Amino acid sequence: MAAPKAARRLQPSKVRVAVIGLAVVAAWMGMGYRLFQIQVVQAADLAEQGLNQRLVSRDLAPQRGKIFDRNGELLAMTVQAQSIYAVPSQVEEPLWVAQQIGGPLGADTDVLYQRLISDREFVYIKRQVEDVVADEVLGLEIRGVYSHPEPTRIYPAGAVASHVTGFVNIDGDGQEGLELVYDEELRGTPGKAEFERDLQGRVIPQGYSRIVPAIPGVDLNTTIDLPLQYQAQQACVLALEQTGAISCWVVVLAVETGEVLAMVGAPIFDPQTRQTQDPSCEQAEDPVACRAFSNFIVRGIYEPGSTQKLITVAAALEEGEVSIGTVFPEVPDELELRDDACRFADDELYGCYRDFENHATEDMSVAQIFTRSSNIGTIKIAETLGQDRLIQYIEAFGLGSKTGIDYTAEAPGILNFEAGCATCWASAAIGYSVAVTPLQMAAAYAAIGNDGIWTTPHIVSSKTDVDGETQVAGMQTRRVVSSGTALLMRELLALVVEKGTGAAAAIDGYRVGGKTGTANKLGDDGRYTETTRASFVGMAPINDPKVVVAVLIDAPSFDYRTGGLSAAPVFAAVMKQALHRLGVTPDGHQR
Amino acid sequence: MTARPVRRLAEQDNLRLLKGRRLRRPTLAPWMLMVLIGVVAFLGLGFARTSLDRSAFDLAELSKAISEETATNRQMNLEIARLVNPARISPLAEELGLVIPDTTKQLLVDLTPEIPVVAGAEGEGNNQ
Repeated sequence: MAAPKAARRLQPSKVRVAVIGLAVVAAWMGMGYRLFQIQVVQAADLAEQGLNQRLVSRDLAPQRGKIFDRNGELLAMTVQAQSIYAVPSQVEEPLWVAQQIGGPLGADTDVLYQRLISDREFVYIKRQVEDVVADEVLGLEIRGVYSHPEPTRIYPAGAVASHVTGFVNIDGDGQEGLELVYDEELRGTPGKAEFERDLQGRVIPQGYSRIVPAIPGVDLNTTIDLPLQYQAQQACVLALEQTGAISCWVVVLAVETGEVLAMVGAPIFDPQTRQTQDPSCEQAEDPVACRAFSNFIVRGIYEPGSTQKLITVAAALEEGEVSIGTVFPEVPDELELRDDACRFADDELYGCYRDFENHATEDMSVAQIFTRSSNIGTIKIAETLGQDRLIQYIEAFGLGSKTGIDYTAEAPGILNFEAGCATCWASAAIGYSVAVTPLQMAAAYAAIGNDGIWTTPHIVSSKTDVDGETQVAGMQTRRVVSSGTALLMRELLALVVEKGTGAAAAIDGYRVGGKTGTANKLGDDGRYTETTRASFVGMAPINDPKVVVAVLIDAPSFDYRTGGLSAAPVFAAVMKQALHRLGVTPDGHQR
Repeated sequence: MTARPVRRLAEQDNLRLLKGRRLRRPTLAPWMLMVLIGVVAFLGLGFARTSLDRSAFDLAELSKAISEETATNRQMNLEIARLVNPARISPLAEELGLVIPDTTKQLLVDLTPEIPVVAGAEGEGNNQ
């Protein structure tokens, strides 16, 4: 019996084999279980984790839209530049490095040194430099100094169109001008790119990728004529030199369409560097005080003086209260609307009104009053209208409210007809007690040039996006006076240039019409000073006006204190170029 | 050359014929064909895969080239815009003596007179 028992007893080798077999089976089962866990249960999560390790997501910056003038010339565009940065912990000799890279970058060595020794892990050395400069810096092969591409806004016309385009900040956000007005449309829509990359950072072909392309910003096609813009700016700069004025502003409007053909100011500033090019401004403690960046044509308000008389006379003609030949008897050169208002020689307004030049009391027709710019005569014309109708026409011509131009922070102006003011109507009739922008005045004159129809001024004519070009709508028109009244007013404006105060505005070959304006500036004490704002607003050719030019010169020297002396020559220079640029046929008129 | 039938061979040589399954020579051709197809398919797949990868690399290169050309084009447009800037041209023109004249001469064209007939002008072709 022992033998069978012994036979049944397992041999040790078989036991070991069985144990090993079981271990192998168990191991395989364990591996199988783990494989099942990995490949089935956790498959999705693990696949996602793996993908995330390889997946890179990048924001695709949209290309900011361009800005063009009316002829397709570039006014603003975005290109790639290089931004130089440093990792201070990697820079071994900060002072030497600052000296080396300071020259090519045109940066102050001390400032660079302070940045290079800072505790931060990343500091910008200089942002948005040209590739050539970046190459020069990177060519030094300095450890810790690197670059990365960054878009930068370029204004190839420089300062010529700076008051139109405005500018962006270092991060490409619109800050001023069209850049600010149309910022959202110009900046476009960012895109996104997701792709797999290998350990070396290379894109894995056939790997997962998803690209949502960025939508570039719209291009703006403006109504600005760049050569005319330049000529107007040059005329303004020259006027500043000659007259010693603080600033000069010019706006050119196309009469029929309300298109702004030019809009310039001096002192000028460079939109690229955001620095004024007027030395006196740069030396000032607060350059912003020069207001070079702010567009006075749209935002600045001033008392227009005699240019306002166009509205007063047009209203009286339209209402049939007077005709051109209506004679006002015994018009003096001084008028008191308040007792003892003119007691002192320097009393101005607040009930005391004087003509610019002394003259004997005489009979004056409406035409004479207008061409000689008689304040007293104009007040007498306004008297026939009454305050309510005068205000009605002032408002109809667009004063006291925004024109609706596509520009930022437009000023509505001020109409000061407070209750109880017995003389405000008289002041308003001759351009005081109201404050307007040069653009409002240009638009009012354009209405006369356009047979009595007022049109919204605008700068952008169309936009071009990925779907093509679309016209900008929204221009409004309204009739303010009849075409007959407009025709009479144009004739009066022509007489001002031919026989009145605007002789310097005449141009060979074209019959020009316009009105001078000279308004005293208010002092800090609330009284009028001897300092003036000289202006001229006019149009040509007077028989079929195509262009209106408004010129405002702020605080010219005494020798140039009137609109006829300082603003009219600028008008003539700009109008001549505008007519040539538009190809307007001369009417043969000789001055 | 043909083989002798087995039955006749047995009768002639006194050989005993054993009954059983008839032996057949194994046919390798289909297997070889399948293997061949498999190999070709594998190689084809590999080739297609590498072609796709190569195409992807080519596309990436092309995209990069397009980006570079676009950037160059933008720089060229910018350069043109800078060159035609009136603020740059005007001083250069003045240096060359090209200034806008102060006086303007008007040419008044009288369109009423008869158009003179130029001798020999007839039949000399169509001048445009």
